[in-house]
Amino acid sequence: MPSKLQRHLARDFMKIFLRDRQSIFFSLFFPVVFMSIFAFVRGGQEPIPLGVANQSDSALAGALVDKLGEDAAFTVVSGDEAQLREQLIHGEQMLVLVVPAQFQAPSAGETAALRLLADTSQFNQLPLVEPMLEQKLMEIEREYRGGEAMFSLEIENVQALSQSYLDFLLPGLLAMMLMQLSVAGSGYNVVEFRRKGILKRLFVTPLQPRDFVAAIVAARLGIVMIQLTVLLAFALFVLRVNIVGNFAEFYLVALVASLVFLNIGFCIGSMARTQQAIMAIGNIVIFPQIVLSGVFYPIDAMPGFVQPLAQVLPLTFVVSGLREIAVAGATLLEIVPSLIGMAVWFVIGFALATRMFVWKDVAA
Amino acid sequence: MEPIIRAVELVKRYPLPEDKSRSFAAVDGVSFEIFEREIYGILGPNGAGKTTTLEMLEGLNDIDGGSAFVAGIDVTRDPYRVKQMIGVQLQASEYFDKLNLIELLHLFGALYSRDIDAMELLARVDLTEKAKARPESLSGGQKQRFSIACALVNVPRILFLDEPTTGLDPQAKRRLWELAMELNRAGMTIVLTTHNMEEAEFLCGRIAIMDHGRIVAEDTPANLIQQHAPEPPAAPLHGNIEDVFLALTGHALRD
Repeated sequence: MPSKLQRHLARDFMKIFLRDRQSIFFSLFFPVVFMSIFAFVRGGQEPIPLGVANQSDSALAGALVDKLGEDAAFTVVSGDEAQLREQLIHGEQMLVLVVPAQFQAPSAGETAALRLLADTSQFNQLPLVEPMLEQKLMEIEREYRGGEAMFSLEIENVQALSQSYLDFLLPGLLAMMLMQLSVAGSGYNVVEFRRKGILKRLFVTPLQPRDFVAAIVAARLGIVMIQLTVLLAFALFVLRVNIVGNFAEFYLVALVASLVFLNIGFCIGSMARTQQAIMAIGNIVIFPQIVLSGVFYPIDAMPGFVQPLAQVLPLTFVVSGLREIAVAGATLLEIVPSLIGMAVWFVIGFALATRMFVWKDVAA
Repeated sequence: MEPIIRAVELVKRYPLPEDKSRSFAAVDGVSFEIFEREIYGILGPNGAGKTTTLEMLEGLNDIDGGSAFVAGIDVTRDPYRVKQMIGVQLQASEYFDKLNLIELLHLFGALYSRDIDAMELLARVDLTEKAKARPESLSGGQKQRFSIACALVNVPRILFLDEPTTGLDPQAKRRLWELAMELNRAGMTIVLTTHNMEEAEFLCGRIAIMDHGRIVAEDTPANLIQQHAPEPPAAPLHGNIEDVFLALTGHALRD
């Protein structure tokens, strides 16, 4: 239970952080821009993977598949329907076009049906893709029958588990931002307070280091959770990213993660003597984790010799914990290994932070 | 009478900047006793060890040799109890710049687990109308007075002032001296460092003069002047060339 002193201090720190409008703005501005770039650039530019299950051996069907393959807007993967449908459910395909066995040039006045499988709730580019496919079909129609409609496109909604790349990326990005905000937040404060002589003034009173550390961690935690909420809301409502799992559990993991990184920030702040030093040490701690912790791509895809290191980084536990909840709908019980990893880092961080924060060394 | 502060052969060593394996003594065996209700001044040039001496008494700096007792408490053994009963104004300390004066005073109150009357404290240092201001908007003199207000939140028995008037204009300096006198009259023991001779002479009952980490003299200002002030210069010669003429040629009338 926090003491009256800790509560008072934490409240004051919260005031101090919240009144720093400029840094609050920038802490939100960059992540928002960052996420938006990923959302829009990736969505618009890259070819759309299209699974084609051609069950017909007619020349017409072959011509259609060839046409689609020539189009730069699609990357065509051929396969049988059951296999492609399975991939769609697991998020490895977004669209599957099924060309039925009886697909052939219909006699005049008839149309042949093609089925398009997609999870309409997930695949938000459908309104864009559908006319493109129709266009292809019309080209073939023109060649064979001079404009008369031959085909119709039926859309079959397949409920996929999740996921666009952004769905995969979001938990990673949030974990990364959580780390940056927390590490920079607490570390920067300690160095700044020391530089200004504020630490010295505080510690000429009977203030105990553990009360100081607890209060500043609590206040930063509050701020980081607010920042996380804003970013999450932006991702969910503006970018339409999906989170399958339980939000309370997602927040709980984020909270623990934030504690882990605040402690690490404190350690850095206790080591560094100047703002430049904290930037340098902070980067040494932050950047390798961004690269190695599976934020942008799975750890399995990395060279074998770095994997053992990557597996034990604090950010790795956070990313995998958040991602399993967000993408696969895992419960806390299912991510116990990640939670244990975070708990170990929390204990290490807290022990180091309170030990390294030597109050007698408070002068600049 | 039992002294309220007793420093016995205090030593503080720092590594030499040019050769970290060797050290020099910033404070080199300093002893003194300060009595309740005194205003005691530590005088000396920059780098003499004044601030370091104060910081050892305040529990901010480790004592490398000797011992210090504040109100009978060994500072090394129980710095937290010492900190409970002292008030400290540090040389040029800043405050959280996003909090106003009232919020800052309440924060300091919380550090001592005390409920305080912030407005009353501000009134004592003439800063009532600055209550909602942030510290960075204060002038030099106002900042120093605010520092003293912060140092008073725990109703200390001893107040440490480290170069309280350095950089202040004459009016602000006078006002600060009056404030120190008022607090002293109300029963507070004050220990201050300064390199302003006028300040030492005006405020202090006793003075220690420090140089190179040692106390080179300690007494009341009057006694120090008595002992160490140079001989007054001989009376200047007066007269004119006529006196010279008369001296050389005699006063006898010549007719």
